[in-house]
Amino acid sequence: MNKVLMSGNNIIGEAAIRSGCRFYAGYPITPQNELTEYMAEHMREAPGGVFIQSESEIAAIHMIIGASATGARVMTSSSSPGISLKQEGISSMAACELPGVIVNIMRGGPGLGNIRPAQGDYFQATRGGGHGDYRTIVFGPATCQELADLTMSAYDLADKYRTPVMILADGMMGQMMEPVIFKKPKPRHYNENFILKGAGSGKSKFIRGLILDAIDMEEHNWKLERKYQVIKARETLHEEHRTEDAKLVIVAYGTAARIAKGAIKRLRDNGMQVGLFRPITLWPFPEAELRALSARVKKFLVFEMSTGQMLDDVRLALQGYADIEFHGRPGGVVPTPSELANVIARHYKETGK
Amino acid sequence: MNIVENFDLFAPRLINKKELLSAGHRACQGCGEVLAVRLMCKALGENTVIASATGCMEIISSMYPTTAWEVPWIHVAFENAAAVASGVEAGLKALRRKGKIDDREIKVVGMAGDGGTMDIGLQALSGAMERGHNMLFVCFDNEAYMNTGIQRSSGTPMGASTTTAPAGKVSMGQKTWKKNVTEIMVAHNVPYVATACPSYPLDFINKVEKAKKVKGPAYIHCFSVCPTGWRSPSHLTIALGRLAVETGIFPLYEVENGKYKLSSEMPRKLKPITDYYKTQGRFRHLSEDEIKMIQSRVNKEHKKLLNKVDCLEAWD
Repeated sequence: MNKVLMSGNNIIGEAAIRSGCRFYAGYPITPQNELTEYMAEHMREAPGGVFIQSESEIAAIHMIIGASATGARVMTSSSSPGISLKQEGISSMAACELPGVIVNIMRGGPGLGNIRPAQGDYFQATRGGGHGDYRTIVFGPATCQELADLTMSAYDLADKYRTPVMILADGMMGQMMEPVIFKKPKPRHYNENFILKGAGSGKSKFIRGLILDAIDMEEHNWKLERKYQVIKARETLHEEHRTEDAKLVIVAYGTAARIAKGAIKRLRDNGMQVGLFRPITLWPFPEAELRALSARVKKFLVFEMSTGQMLDDVRLALQGYADIEFHGRPGGVVPTPSELANVIARHYKETGK
Repeated sequence: MNIVENFDLFAPRLINKKELLSAGHRACQGCGEVLAVRLMCKALGENTVIASATGCMEIISSMYPTTAWEVPWIHVAFENAAAVASGVEAGLKALRRKGKIDDREIKVVGMAGDGGTMDIGLQALSGAMERGHNMLFVCFDNEAYMNTGIQRSSGTPMGASTTTAPAGKVSMGQKTWKKNVTEIMVAHNVPYVATACPSYPLDFINKVEKAKKVKGPAYIHCFSVCPTGWRSPSHLTIALGRLAVETGIFPLYEVENGKYKLSSEMPRKLKPITDYYKTQGRFRHLSEDEIKMIQSRVNKEHKKLLNKVDCLEAWD
């Protein structure tokens, strides 16, 4: 268990290779380039590893569909505008029930936006993003250690539920360096029956997402939905930080949660009882856990680097049991902990004694 | 006689004095691409609408809220400069038909780098050329994705080291040949296709002016030296452009209505490619055998081109 100092993008690459990712397709876009470059250099060291720089993001996602159909562990990565291009492929993966890991190192939007860290892709990631009734499991890591751990569990979940899994980090997570320990990945269990490898003397298999018959398609939709319900029941992850005695709880994920922790330290030093609720899986959102918290906390503040997207999920989870405030900085602005502390202090005073 | 006839055409004093890509942009020292864009704008004049794909030229020229552009300019995503230019052209046509704008010639230009043309933008470009919009598309080819940090593209030449095709013990870097988009455009049977390099400014301006006069789609492939990405000294930009032409790695020619013509700048006898390769860090690792292999390919391609110049007739 050696501790190594690496940047976020490289950690994702290394964790993927260690968990057995043997095919990576990527396309240049800032701020995720380091991941593509890391894969270009290190995939060849993995036995049987293949790296392809595709001609477009659309090609990259569809290449991993092809590789996933042959049973390989696959990854593609991009930043916000590139992920928009990949949506058709992600929808296809969900429909065809193909496992794969997609990394989104978010940047400012909409449109081409800028290349600074932002969290504006929350809706796109957690609501499916592409067309049709589907969901993707979405992880929102907040430390480099989590980038490594969640990349590994992303592969496990992708195989277990045969569904695309997205890692939703932002430019800051991708670029920053932290010490990290790579854990031993779990052995892979994947049913041979889902692999296309030439019929040989057996029966030929096929993979398709086009089901013309309405009733069959409906059944397929319900089948996927049942799978999503199982994921919802079993796979939610969250972290609570100093919520035991909190009178106000900040809800934040990823980089925003790191800033919130800094703010909480300052506020606690000034005698204000503030805590943090951090969803680690953004879909499935830890609704029940958050609602349970509302039994003793009556004020929540959602803090995001967007104009308010996770805010919707918090509202749905709390169902009016507590007051919800919001503070957001979209467009690539990374606020300081002291700025957030000031905002929270103002709201905290309103909570009453 | 020919020279006297073309004297006016080639006289530097006739070049537009007005700068339509103004100074103060953020291009690297010795950027060949921005020089090419500047010359292109001079040749096109004010009555132009430019649709630009993402890339170095967009980033360096339009850092919000400033802009270096003195002509109407729209920046779009990476894959669709040609599609947006098609839309601009169709929109102007509609407005002209309705009499909402005066009836002057407005040239619509799409521009992109090698990634935005050869990789992700090829579909949109092919569509625009096939539909026959009255537009010019210029590819500024610096042979990799320089804007995002020197990743390989299908325009990267064999043997070049990039961040996603790094050279080392196992690999010589890029392992595929450069995609010949000029020939793909010729295959679309468009009225005017040319290759150009800003190291030959008069030739370049002349070709843009020719393309501007064409009714229908035109394509210019512009070779743009990138000292940052090629790991070459920035004062050698012009010299490297010239060497690429003189060694036959990037031959200058034009295809007017299917008729191939070598530009007068092309030398009769080609220099060996080592002259061009030795000043660039991206080729530093190449062994003699590998250079020999590349040299034989360059010779073959050049012969192929000369055959086309000799054999093909114009189709109108």
